[in-house]
Amino acid sequence: MYLLWLRVAAILYAAASVAVFPAVLYGLVRWRKICVHLAGLALFFHFVSAVEMLVQAHRWMPVGVREVESLLGFAVAGLFFLVWWLYDAISLGIFALPATFFLVFVPALGPDRYTFPSEGVRVSWLVAHIAALLLAYVALGFSLLASILYLVQERRLKSKPKAGQDSWWAPLDWLPPLDTLERIAHATLEFGFPCMTVGLVIGSVLAQETPLGASYFLDPKIIASFAMWVVYVTLLLVRRSAGLRGRRAAYLSGAVFIVMLAVLAANVFSQVHRYGPR
Amino acid sequence: MTLALIGVNHKTAPIELRERIAISREDLPEATRALAAVPGVTECMIVSTCNRVELLAAVESPDADLTGFLYRHFGLDPVLLGPHIYEYRDQDAVRHLFRVAASLDSMVVGEPQILGQVKEAFAVARASGAVAGQLEHLLQSAFAAAKKVRSETEIGSSSVSIASVAVDLARKIFGSLQGRTVFLVGAGKMSELAARHLVQQGAGAILVSNRTQERARRMAEEFQGRVIPFEQLYEAASEADIVISSTGAPHPIFRPEHGQAFLHRRRNRPMFFIDIAVPRDVDPAMGKLEGIFVYDIDDLQAVAAAHMAERSRVASDAETLIAGEVERFHQRQRTVDVAPAIVALQRQAEEIRQAELRRVQARLGSLSAEQVAAVEALTRGLVNKFLHPPMQALKQAAREGNQARMDALCDAWQVSAGSGREAEPEGAPVEAGPTSSEAEKAESATVSEARVESRR
Repeated sequence: MYLLWLRVAAILYAAASVAVFPAVLYGLVRWRKICVHLAGLALFFHFVSAVEMLVQAHRWMPVGVREVESLLGFAVAGLFFLVWWLYDAISLGIFALPATFFLVFVPALGPDRYTFPSEGVRVSWLVAHIAALLLAYVALGFSLLASILYLVQERRLKSKPKAGQDSWWAPLDWLPPLDTLERIAHATLEFGFPCMTVGLVIGSVLAQETPLGASYFLDPKIIASFAMWVVYVTLLLVRRSAGLRGRRAAYLSGAVFIVMLAVLAANVFSQVHRYGPR
Repeated sequence: MTLALIGVNHKTAPIELRERIAISREDLPEATRALAAVPGVTECMIVSTCNRVELLAAVESPDADLTGFLYRHFGLDPVLLGPHIYEYRDQDAVRHLFRVAASLDSMVVGEPQILGQVKEAFAVARASGAVAGQLEHLLQSAFAAAKKVRSETEIGSSSVSIASVAVDLARKIFGSLQGRTVFLVGAGKMSELAARHLVQQGAGAILVSNRTQERARRMAEEFQGRVIPFEQLYEAASEADIVISSTGAPHPIFRPEHGQAFLHRRRNRPMFFIDIAVPRDVDPAMGKLEGIFVYDIDDLQAVAAAHMAERSRVASDAETLIAGEVERFHQRQRTVDVAPAIVALQRQAEEIRQAELRRVQARLGSLSAEQVAAVEALTRGLVNKFLHPPMQALKQAAREGNQARMDALCDAWQVSAGSGREAEPEGAPVEAGPTSSEAEKAESATVSEARVESRR
């Protein structure tokens, strides 16, 4: 049954992804309402599906690639709603809603054919580890997106129209104000940091309990994860102490994001975080 | 009944003439009543703004002298005013009113005030007892059309004055202006206007600095702000989110090195410089600094002009919308006009049914109450079924404005299209016409049907 709810959610996300364009690009209030309602319904069915899936399996954590994708999609949609609620900025939905749809689409096709080989992933503390890191990744993604939009908006405001040139203002008029983008970028970073820290700490404690012990930390993925955390801390400190914003803040967010991609890519080389057939 | 609209506006008359016939808000009720008293005028209203004075009236005959009223009321020579007056009748009057309400006939196309002014004029006319059914329908339709234009096109979405462009830009940088500090450097009229706009949008503290302390103090008092001595200009500037500069200095007073110092002190929080001085007060190179936005008077004018061009483009879509709404209004009107004929047709059929029932009553003998009810229902059902096609045909012909077909249908069914009274066959006894409540019921039925169709 959970697959049915997930498919309903996928269809609703797709519809919301379509509705968000007229809502944002043309500022149509009716479409804005439609988009928010569709996305809200999709999030609800997504939640029902996730709970039903985990309850049926008598566990509280995803054990397969598709399940992780689905939960990542849930986190993206959830954070989109949080940003919309706090900053009234639906424009980020242009990126967040289609991303959610694509994350949910594959899991909605059918149950996982591949699950994580390790029995360790069924340990309940790993729920917090995985959930916290997924949230941190999503928050980082949102922060980078807001920083990039900040750059675009800043460039637009600086490139003034010449006399007789009349199409300058309209095409990107949907972008949120600079200050809102800055606050979204900063708030999502601050939200993601404790998530990442908690995720890494739990992971480290769990790693100590494995037969590998301290040698666990020589795994490429673990090293990349801690490198990501250090860059993350640097970014937060610099932003806070120097009031860093705009172009340099976007570059730093980009750097953290690249490290995050490296962490994901490190799964290929990791001995302890490998996906694959059981 | 004919609709007539006469008036002068900014396109047809110079300001010197418009100001002589402008009617103040206080005088509007009396002027409306005076217009209603003109022979032949059944309903009327007057729209008077700084850009137009228009008289709209439902008149019994085309001879009602609205132009004469205009001359008499304002004591103006027809030779002086006559060439500037425009006049529209019926469909043209409706289209003109719809365009005015939708701000397509305004000096600044898309400005939102005109709809409020028309609504106010209508409220005054209604309070003066000068408006009844016909203008009520017309004005409600005009308001609906104007609302549609505003919601379905982007005609009023962008600002076209320098001050409102500045406010828009500030919003693009800061989002909400609540609690933002505005620094007026130089106390000119233009910076005062821009500051007023910003304050209306919620801007917080106002700082004023001017070489003449007295002027600075006056302006600071007006905005409940704080005077900053000109020597402390640079210290105070870093407190401000928005700086409006309009001094008469021959060289830029804000240069890149100042900008860097401001950003350092503000921990890179952005600043918006609105430079309306000529020669410029802000060095354009300062705009290259990250986090500082500089707009001079030419930049603001270019944005306003771009918005104006955008509005003109959108206006053509709005014109198409208005044309559709005018056509829909006329369709509805025509459907309403045919209501008396439908009432007459129904009444005629009912009389025939009653007469036939009386005729066969003797042959039916004594019937129980249930049987009488069944016969009633049967005959009524038959009559309604027979009447359905001609009624629909009449409505359709009315919607299409096909007078020949309406006349042919009325002739065939021996009813009169206009009066609602049955065409009396020779020698037939004179019957009472349909009661007013019957006519109203039929009219409201046709109106609601027409509305449903227009929604489809």
